[in-house]
Amino acid sequence: METKRNTTKLLLWLLMFFSDTVPLSYEKSMRERAIELMQDARLIDGHNDFVLRLRIFYQNRLRRVNLRELNKTHTNLAKLQAGYVGAQFWSVYVLCSAQNKDAVRLTLEQIDIVKRMCNSYEELELVTTSQGISDSRRIACLIGIEGGHSIDSSLATLRMYYDLGVRYMTLTHSCNTPWSESSSKGIHNFYPSVTGLTAFGQEVVKEMNRLGMLIDLSHTSYSTAKAALNISKAPVIFSHSSASSICNHSRNVPDDILQQLKKNKGIIMVTFNADVLACGRKVVNVSNLADHFDHIKKIAGSESIGIGGDYDGVEHFPEGLEDVSKYPSLIEELLRRGWNETELKGVLRENFLRVFREVENVRNISGLMDVDESEIPQEEVQNSCRLDLRNHRLQAARSFGFPSVAQPLVGNWRVTEGWRSCIQVQATRQCCRCFFIIWGLLFAACS
Amino acid sequence: METKRNTTKLLLWLLMFFSDTVPLSYEKSMRERAIELMQDARLIDGHNDFVLRLRIFYQNRLRRVNLRELNKTHTNLAKLQAGYVGAQFWSVYVLCSAQNKDAVRLTLEQIDIVKRMCNSYEELELVTTSQGISDSRRIACLIGIEGGHSIDSSLATLRMYYDLGVRYMTLTHSCNTPWSESSSKGIHNFYPSVTGLTAFGQEVVKEMNRLGMLIDLSHTSYSTAKAALNISKAPVIFSHSSASSICNHSRNVPDDILQQLKKNKGIIMVTFNADVLACGRKVVNVSNLADHFDHIKKIAGSESIGIGGDYDGVEQFAFVLS
Repeated sequence: METKRNTTKLLLWLLMFFSDTVPLSYEKSMRERAIELMQDARLIDGHNDFVLRLRIFYQNRLRRVNLRELNKTHTNLAKLQAGYVGAQFWSVYVLCSAQNKDAVRLTLEQIDIVKRMCNSYEELELVTTSQGISDSRRIACLIGIEGGHSIDSSLATLRMYYDLGVRYMTLTHSCNTPWSESSSKGIHNFYPSVTGLTAFGQEVVKEMNRLGMLIDLSHTSYSTAKAALNISKAPVIFSHSSASSICNHSRNVPDDILQQLKKNKGIIMVTFNADVLACGRKVVNVSNLADHFDHIKKIAGSESIGIGGDYDGVEHFPEGLEDVSKYPSLIEELLRRGWNETELKGVLRENFLRVFREVENVRNISGLMDVDESEIPQEEVQNSCRLDLRNHRLQAARSFGFPSVAQPLVGNWRVTEGWRSCIQVQATRQCCRCFFIIWGLLFAACS
Repeated sequence: METKRNTTKLLLWLLMFFSDTVPLSYEKSMRERAIELMQDARLIDGHNDFVLRLRIFYQNRLRRVNLRELNKTHTNLAKLQAGYVGAQFWSVYVLCSAQNKDAVRLTLEQIDIVKRMCNSYEELELVTTSQGISDSRRIACLIGIEGGHSIDSSLATLRMYYDLGVRYMTLTHSCNTPWSESSSKGIHNFYPSVTGLTAFGQEVVKEMNRLGMLIDLSHTSYSTAKAALNISKAPVIFSHSSASSICNHSRNVPDDILQQLKKNKGIIMVTFNADVLACGRKVVNVSNLADHFDHIKKIAGSESIGIGGDYDGVEQFAFVLS
């Protein structure tokens, strides 16, 4: 009897001892559970700026780089696979400084590189529909425009981007457009009197509904987001934003908008940018990120949540989430906090697919609606890099022997909002072209 | 016997009389032959600027206009059908003055209106392949960019235009680009030191070959045309030009280039602009136009010839054809 009791005691003591040093099978299976979940429901990530890095580091020359193993960036194909990413929205962001210059051309160049990238690697394939994402056995590539300055106030340009495969547009980046207000103040000086959405901005939102292009409200101001949520007939998204209640950063979304988003049946794709997660706290980890998920679930329900990492778009990420291979760590943490598999599959992909399908549905229903032929009023947008067709003698310019009315090579040009003058000399310097000066992502600008 | 001879004389006299006033069945059948031919082989026209007129007159607002009956322009749908046009390249020209400004955006807007126009009318349908043209029972719409300034010196932009359905690009309009020289001198002051094709211009031509976009040499200078013909691995076109030998206008094509075009197996789509047909002659008619066809057939063979009217792109047409 005595020996048996001693043996039992000994075994219990050993068990207690080892439970501190050897992970319990319970914890190990959290990681395994996360991975099994993600194998089954690969992530649809709402926002990645890798393509901007390709421009900065390689001038869009894909031949110079092996996208599988690239180690200068948060993103490469091997890491995406390790992170169980099933679909990625590639941002075709162009600098705000290119607004009223050559933002359109630069955007086309970014779209071009996404297409070339996704055609060049068998791990990738370009898709443009919710069905395309569901069916894909590879990493599905989608295209998102980041900033309304890319359309240069032209609905026709918006339509052409849609034809090229673009499936969302973030209404603003960190600058106002002539028709929409950004949440960023003081970074740029474009159109400072614009608040929310102008009349033309409302036309943009309606046309996006008609086309079936997702409306992305990340980076937009409170007024813009409210206005868009009021007007839009389709669910909207925040491709990469987090919760204001946890960290009151201008990039985050306050509770009342989250509630409106729930009614809208839209989605907030929570972002990993450490600066917006923990408001300046020095150490940021996956737990800080998970706090945002918990909060938004409480306010808007887990069905309103997705993931938009913003990898390669910002510098600081939480510990343990340094690159695109680390997504499982987030899922693991959420499992630990009691999120169930249905909720997590929703976060990973099902919620986004629901939103995208409904946006496509609105397009299908709109089929007979007339194309929006609105133009932005000239006085809201005229600038020196825009040909003023009202005052141009079109007939004269077309006939032979008539001298051109416009002489663009001569004279001073005040390019944007009183920034700087630009004098053209011998046609070698083009005022309307963004000369991309790289000092670091935050400080990149046009000259 | 006498009566019979008199009757015959009378009949012969009546025949002679009427032959002056009543068209012989021989002449009537030329017109009929032409129509039968065109019903069977509807025209593919290389260049029409109607879409520019839509911008000028209607600010691209299709809702303001009925394209079937519009009478401000050379072109409307009823007239296209009456002319047996089976396929039309719509030019998405934007002014040279927009070079280095917003030419790209303006080009996208013109492409947008072609697409909207061709989706809105059942007489029209957008196509992007030769097979599409062959198969079409409607008027097939194709898109041509007029002037390299539309790509803003960006091959990526060229590729995106191709993805949007553009199937030819005229390398220049009446202005030089940073990489190609126009035949027009003194109209614009862009890049005056560029001659022919620069190194980048050669890359443009090669990329157009790779993409399958037709290279259009109308409006280009002699050097540009020669350079393009030397580099291109595919046949090239002149979408709307005529023969220098008949009228020595900078917009026309000299005989040596026509010979090179023949070797290239390309095509010159003869244009109807009266100013380039008859070098300032006051009265220009279909015969002047036909002289160009005859001459080019002699130099380069009829297989090198097509038609590119340039309707709604210029004002003066031969009076029979306007």
